[in-house]
Amino acid sequence: MSLEQETLNAVQENQGGAVVQEAPEAWKPKILAFTCNWCTYAGADLAGLNRMKYPADVRLLRLPCSGRVNPQFVLHAFQKGCDGVLVCGCHPGDCHYSTGNYFTRRRMLLYRRYLEYFGIEPERFQIRWISGSEAGKFRDTVVDTCEAITKLGPNHKFREEGR
Amino acid sequence: MANTQETLRERARILLEDGTLDYLIGWEAGRFEGQTTPLIIRTVADVDRLIYNEYCVHLLAKYPLADKTTKKIGVVVRGCDARGINLALKDGQIERDRLYLLGIPCQGMKDAQTGEELKKCRECTHRNPVVYDELLGDLLEQSAVADRFAEVNRIESLSADERYDYWADVFSRCIRCKACRDVCPTCTCKECFTDQAAKGWQGKETSLAENQNYGITRMFHSGERCLECGECERVCPKGLPLMQLNRKVIKDVHELFGEYIAGIDDCTPSPLDHYQLDDVEEFM
Repeated sequence: MSLEQETLNAVQENQGGAVVQEAPEAWKPKILAFTCNWCTYAGADLAGLNRMKYPADVRLLRLPCSGRVNPQFVLHAFQKGCDGVLVCGCHPGDCHYSTGNYFTRRRMLLYRRYLEYFGIEPERFQIRWISGSEAGKFRDTVVDTCEAITKLGPNHKFREEGR
Repeated sequence: MANTQETLRERARILLEDGTLDYLIGWEAGRFEGQTTPLIIRTVADVDRLIYNEYCVHLLAKYPLADKTTKKIGVVVRGCDARGINLALKDGQIERDRLYLLGIPCQGMKDAQTGEELKKCRECTHRNPVVYDELLGDLLEQSAVADRFAEVNRIESLSADERYDYWADVFSRCIRCKACRDVCPTCTCKECFTDQAAKGWQGKETSLAENQNYGITRMFHSGERCLECGECERVCPKGLPLMQLNRKVIKDVHELFGEYIAGIDDCTPSPLDHYQLDDVEEFM
């Protein structure tokens, strides 16, 4: 059988609904971190300035405030192929807009339990308060999250098919 | 019930005649036995079409909200309707002085097909209207309700994968007819996220992922404001257990932020509308 034919067969098999087996060594988690502009993003910046090492599997998305994180963003992230989602903001009391993260806290307390109810593992969706000076905490959070998610493997829950 | 119906017709006649009301929202008989449908009467001639029996299953709280004029609206309210009205008042959807509420303590409604009491009525915690201008009939004693959260507790005790499979099965049957959204008294947005495909909030593809997106997000939008009127579950053409979603959020709200009963009055802010400095802290 030629290589082309083999590839074609493999593609046809996949279209038939077979699960694509990903090699465990090659697989790296894809983690989306929603970071607030005033604290966590600055903290991540400081981690960079201090030459701290953390896995490159995390993608930062800068938002004005953790209160900007619509719960639907989190669900969409899982649907579009993220293996983990981090929502990070200022510590309560430190919000640049005074009250944003207090609302985030209530909303995310509920939403985290809500998504777990639908079967998401708690490690995949985490919320952390990281201030602009806590570069070490940012690194530790990313390292821990990556480790936990690598252990769990790729996320198939809520995934849109074929993406 | 027959007495209540007579009193209702009598009062409706007087209120429409003396011009207190521009129109009244109640129920009328449907085409089949035991079937009813919401009715709006504007003239005294229509008063005899009004009925009140054990098959008045529809929630009327959402009907006055579409009218943005200054007309005076009469609404027949039971416990669930009254709480829906309170919710609309709190959300600024309608003014109190435009409403005239005819309260009826509700015995619980029956399914026309099986003749049994509806699930939503068996689980009802407020049979008496919590707000009304006049009361037709005597207030009832609230009967004890079985544990509303039993089903939620059962699902929570499953493993994460089992829970996912359970809900994937539920959502795979959803046809996204949006009946639950249309009937829900908490859903009052002019433009719903589910109608915004171009903006990417809700896709149009027929797939499990889109169904999950719809079901999970719709409930979280209503969230802690849910009245537990059970209308979503009643209208679902696929019979999906939608109250299991609502009750999960309500249960968590009770655990995290204290007891909150939506629509019990028109001033208490709902848990996600405000915050406390010393809220539960889990994210340090």
